[in-house]
Amino acid sequence: MPPSHNIVIQYFSRVTPTVRHRLLFLLVGCALLLGYIFLQTSADDNSSFLAEVSRIPVYLAPVIIAGLGLTGIIFAGGIDLSISTIIVVAGTVFGILYDYGASPGVCFFGCWLTAVSLSSWNGLLVRCLGISPIIITLAGLQFYRGLALILADTLMPDFGGGLSIQQAAYQTPAKEYAGWILAVVVVAALVWEAYGKTFRSFLALGCSPQACRIAGLHPGRILQMSYLVGGLFLGVAAVLYVTNRQVIEPARMAMGFELSVIGAVVLGGTNIFGGEGTMLGTVLGALFLYLIGQAMLYAGVSEYWRTAIEGAVIVAVIGFDCALHRRRKLLDELR
Amino acid sequence: MPRHVHNVMTTPILKLNGVAKSFSGVPALKPFSLELAAGSILGLVGENGAGKSTLIKLLSGLHQPNAGTITLGGRSLRFESPRAAIDAGIATIHQELEYAAQLTVAENLLLGESWPRSFFGGVNWRSLHDEAQERLRAFGIDLPTHATMDQLTAAEKQEVSIAGALSRDARLLILDEPTASLSEPEVRRLFGHLTKLQARGVAIIYVSHRLDEIFEITDRIAVLRDGDLIATHATAEVTAGQLVHDMVGRPLDQVYPRSRSGALGEVVLQLQSLTRAGMFRDISLDVRAGEIVGVAGLVGAGRSELARAIYGLYPADSGTMSLNGNTWKPRDAHAALRGGLVYIPEERKRQGLVLDHSLRESLSIGFAVIANRLGIVNRRRERDMVSAALTNYDIRATGPEQAIGTLSGGNQQKALIARWLERDPGMIILDEPTRGVDVGAKADIHAHIDRLAGAGKGVLFISSDLQELIGMSDRVLVMNRGTIETELSDERLTEHNVILAASGLPQTDAPATGH
Repeated sequence: MPPSHNIVIQYFSRVTPTVRHRLLFLLVGCALLLGYIFLQTSADDNSSFLAEVSRIPVYLAPVIIAGLGLTGIIFAGGIDLSISTIIVVAGTVFGILYDYGASPGVCFFGCWLTAVSLSSWNGLLVRCLGISPIIITLAGLQFYRGLALILADTLMPDFGGGLSIQQAAYQTPAKEYAGWILAVVVVAALVWEAYGKTFRSFLALGCSPQACRIAGLHPGRILQMSYLVGGLFLGVAAVLYVTNRQVIEPARMAMGFELSVIGAVVLGGTNIFGGEGTMLGTVLGALFLYLIGQAMLYAGVSEYWRTAIEGAVIVAVIGFDCALHRRRKLLDELR
Repeated sequence: MPRHVHNVMTTPILKLNGVAKSFSGVPALKPFSLELAAGSILGLVGENGAGKSTLIKLLSGLHQPNAGTITLGGRSLRFESPRAAIDAGIATIHQELEYAAQLTVAENLLLGESWPRSFFGGVNWRSLHDEAQERLRAFGIDLPTHATMDQLTAAEKQEVSIAGALSRDARLLILDEPTASLSEPEVRRLFGHLTKLQARGVAIIYVSHRLDEIFEITDRIAVLRDGDLIATHATAEVTAGQLVHDMVGRPLDQVYPRSRSGALGEVVLQLQSLTRAGMFRDISLDVRAGEIVGVAGLVGAGRSELARAIYGLYPADSGTMSLNGNTWKPRDAHAALRGGLVYIPEERKRQGLVLDHSLRESLSIGFAVIANRLGIVNRRRERDMVSAALTNYDIRATGPEQAIGTLSGGNQQKALIARWLERDPGMIILDEPTRGVDVGAKADIHAHIDRLAGAGKGVLFISSDLQELIGMSDRVLVMNRGTIETELSDERLTEHNVILAASGLPQTDAPATGH
């Protein structure tokens, strides 16, 4: 029998102790950072804690939502390094549709569909070519940015490296509904994770492709499915990312975005080699990284140092966590 | 011409006709034919590399045959995938346990099946766990279904794997070394279930290196050697000697050689009241030069945990150890090796070998003298030492550059032993050194162990194979629940007494069966 019929308790009972510790660590860490930001904003007449908090969804929604998609892919033992340039292509399609006078809804849908299609295409390539996902998507990282520039240059005669989005209606998702969209997507993802079989299949594949094969599952099909599911999330992230910008610049947009997303996923306790992790961890990982950055801002740390420290934080947190549980892991290994 | 062997029982459910398989032109299974009746148990034996695993993979859809036909229940089938084999009614328990370590027992049990759904379409976790619990209970297993697989012991994982396969409504059940991690009571339970399935008309193929099990559970025995079906025998009409002769192609005179003189030297290893919470407690023992001390016990009795503590993988909470009269407290494995103590671990693939490494790399990792102080390896010396090891330990490979993962289990084990013995250690701990090893390689390993003791080394020998333990050891310490229950030697050293002590029961005066 499961330890309880309560779905929340059941959810956490399915999470490995390592990940549970990480979730607790991040939860406490986020609370402390929020407390620090609260103290700083209270002491500063020009800042407001509520205003600070209300900005979180706008900045964080694309990272969290793309992270949720990538978490499923990493669960299954895959990875997608090209998520940033998929967003660039999706943004370019958005810009082209805008340039051709399409309605905001059509632009949003076109942007979303492009991201879903390219992520699914990555999944198809990984499955059919049998080449490591890291190689396929590393190639995609370069290829898709080039593709975006070619598309923009070919389909927009007056394209000069950037396209300005002037009308507010085309920025509604990010400017007005980012918080709601983020909340709905996160809740949907957690419910899907708690009640669905999909993410458990991804985890099973990440743990042991051979076990899945012997059990009669189709590893290639499951891995491809993880890219499709990841694409559904990435599409939403792309819409929020693109509609938060005044100018769409395929050559410069979303630089390093994939690293922020991977950082959040790994910090959240998801094993980069697959088979272990949670969606909730990714949400907390992204929030923790964001809050660290904001806390350093209030502490007066220079921008150069902030970037370096944010990278060091990922290593430090994971290293600290591993050190705490090294003894247990050693014993597990020896069982 | 394919060899034709017909099972004497009626209504064959499985027919293999001229089935063959080769890899890159090298035949793994030569054309052969075989029939298996419903409700019969066929034992499949042969040395490692004889083709048993290939045959199992053909039947379970992991490989496809190059020639021949497979007929199950009158229908000619070609299994393109394991799914197709499962759908056709074939359930397989593979030798290498494969499971999703981070998923729960319930999820692993029902992996590949449709999971119960709730009203809203999501997984009904309660029903899933109930279903899993029911399947486990049906086979007398009491495990928490919400535990993740990596929280279970090796024996429990094996039991879950067996319960998963047995609970499928299979017409043909294939078991490949299913008892490798099981203790005696668990083996009894498995055999009970197999007998019930047999009575229900399920055909069973049982693969094992343990001939006593083969003789106990099977109706007929098929022998494979070098990819060829050598013979099939009615179990009641064949002797172990004939079977071994068929398997190795030569008589095997000395399975448990004893060439050493029996004269014992000084105490090499001594433990006094060694305790580590949750693993073992109050362990006192000594091993003398030239002595083989066996350690028996059920799975989970604390034998391997004790060995690892002696090797320095974790410290004891209390008690003392001494090696050659000096206090022994190695900080880690490196310190243990430098101190002259070697440990050959239980799970050679996971804990002992890097499977992608070549045989040369795998061996020379333990050769301390091939590198100078700057760490630069003397290639000529390495080559010479590896060649000598291959010869001395009779490691059969295409050459020193063959990946060790592609060698048979017996040759992997011999390489693992050869790796460390160049250091000339005074004390050797062997943990299940012949598990999953064929009978020929087993005899070779036994001969090496005997020679080591003969050369004045102290040997602590852990094994679940009681015949082997009794045949090889000068005396046997029996562990139960983390403590040494008793020490058995001479006429008291019998399988009967070892089993009683391992189960925590007092010895009786039952007739000797082993020594």
